[in-house]
Amino acid sequence: MNYVGNTSNLPKQGESTNSFFEFVREGEYARCTLKGDWSVENNSGFEVRREWASILENYPTIQIIKFKLDSNIKWDSTLVSFLHKCRNDLGALNKSIDFNELPSGLSKLLELSKATLSEKKQNEFSLSLELIDETINYFRSAALSIFSFFGDWILSVLRLLTGRSKTRFQDFANSCRACGASALPIVTLISFLTGLTMAFVGSVQLEKFNAKIYVADLVCLAMVREMGALMVAIIMAGRTGAAFAAEIGSMKLNEEIDSLRTFGISPMEFLIIPRTLSLLIMIPLLTIYADVVGILGGLVVGTMVMDFSVIHYFEQTQVALQSMWEVYSGLLKSVVFGLIIGLVGCYKGLHSGNDSSSLGRAVTASVVVSVTIIVVVDAMFEVSFSYLDLR
Amino acid sequence: MENLTEKNSILEVENLNLAYDDYQVLENVSFSAKRGKCTVLMGGSGCGKSTLLKSMVGLLAPASGKILVDSLDLWSVDQEQKTSILKKYGVLFQGGALWGSMNLVENVSLPLETYTDLGENEINDLARYKLNLVGLSGYGDFYPAQLSGGMKKRAGLARAMALDPNILFLDEPSAGLDPINSNRLDNLINELKVSLGITFIVVTHELPSIFDIADDSIFLDGQTKTLLDQGLPSHLRENSEHERVRSFLRRGTPIIKN
Repeated sequence: MNYVGNTSNLPKQGESTNSFFEFVREGEYARCTLKGDWSVENNSGFEVRREWASILENYPTIQIIKFKLDSNIKWDSTLVSFLHKCRNDLGALNKSIDFNELPSGLSKLLELSKATLSEKKQNEFSLSLELIDETINYFRSAALSIFSFFGDWILSVLRLLTGRSKTRFQDFANSCRACGASALPIVTLISFLTGLTMAFVGSVQLEKFNAKIYVADLVCLAMVREMGALMVAIIMAGRTGAAFAAEIGSMKLNEEIDSLRTFGISPMEFLIIPRTLSLLIMIPLLTIYADVVGILGGLVVGTMVMDFSVIHYFEQTQVALQSMWEVYSGLLKSVVFGLIIGLVGCYKGLHSGNDSSSLGRAVTASVVVSVTIIVVVDAMFEVSFSYLDLR
Repeated sequence: MENLTEKNSILEVENLNLAYDDYQVLENVSFSAKRGKCTVLMGGSGCGKSTLLKSMVGLLAPASGKILVDSLDLWSVDQEQKTSILKKYGVLFQGGALWGSMNLVENVSLPLETYTDLGENEINDLARYKLNLVGLSGYGDFYPAQLSGGMKKRAGLARAMALDPNILFLDEPSAGLDPINSNRLDNLINELKVSLGITFIVVTHELPSIFDIADDSIFLDGQTKTLLDQGLPSHLRENSEHERVRSFLRRGTPIIKN
């Protein structure tokens, strides 16, 4: 907007004029006329602060500042927030401020903003005993809640086995369909391609030793011992574990979990048991399926690329599988993986916060945590199997 | 212990202290709710009304103090007794809190399936009857996401009444409803109170509602973090010792008391 400045005259002693302020000092007392464009669009915050700081610097002895508005000023909340800040700043320096000559609308706004609560100070980060104490407390309560969750789960399973549970069979069946049958397409695709890829990679190496037929051994053993269970677990962690966390977390967000509790229905029995148990049962079944599909993937490479007959490939596969323990060990792992995915997903959902961003974090965490635990547990299984001479 | 006056109250709160971790919400709250009456918990936003309700319905353990339901302390009895106390409860949450994966009939049926041995048809009939009671006949097959806010609340009320509770807890039942629906809900509360003898404990700060439904009320104060006054709202409006209570019940209009 237009400046109303006396630019033609040089400023006298004790007076300063610039784009936003006209400052006149009279001893300890000063009159400040605000002018110019004080609107959000003008984006003048930086200049205002600079000019105001230089005024305060030039006149440190002033005790009272009286504000008034120039007739051509254009203002919005920028001005109000500036004056609000001035009042606080000058108050802190034990100086007074006089708003009496401001228009009544503006002084009312200032009066309203005065009546705010003192804001809570953010805790400053400091490495102290208190922080260590807090960290220990955090981990202790986290460990406590995980163990109590797991304990509650075991008790609920026991109640289910003794027939005193409120778990509904229908929920279990629905959950079985959601995490079993519905997962078949993706499991088919991934395990078929896993078997196929392994056969290709293996064939290149084995060709050097003129032992190409051992591709059947490689694919079969890798699938049943390791890849079948691992691939299914990772698919299910991303698919079903995340779904558990999202479902239960959003139920918590809507107070649906609370309303279950007020009916005396435990969310553990009603929501978590059907989900975890169905996953526990479906994951080994999916793993067997993935094993078979993976071997078929190897067969495709063996017959189409390496020109073995189907019978020959299958016979070699049969020879490779010396005992059923090879299959069982993979299934044993998959059951443990299923338990991990189900419990982690449900735990994360149940302990998500009460806002949508924490729900997102809970879903992410459920996938990351369960995949991490799965890979670690898988390695532990293989190490113990080989030490126990089970391989 | 067993005198006549005590029998009159169904729920008693004694020296209750409530806190979220280190943050104290309410201190030293004591009151009792009379059988078959409607007790309103009122107070400004953030004064701890909903927290107190949460504690009374068994969701938030108090830091200290007792909540006695028919002389049984909700927070010190074992799980089985607690469940049997909760069975006498019906709770309506602020947003209705209907189970999103089930339609309305299934929502109302679930408590019945859990606690009664009734057959499928009987449960279905009963659930539809409860929905009719709150004016939702014909909406039984709708899912919560298909309903408006007011309908969700009424459906939540139907579900809260599923097990014919002795005590109904309502958390801001008329918040967010238009004046007509809000009035309908108040009338429904009054009718149920008289015809079924249900005790109501209602959290609200809607003044018309308070004067309409309350037989008794307690005023919780956010500044002192405790119960400031207790009594019939229309009586408190004129005669409360506390300026804050009087001004709350008059929407902050200043009053001069002789």
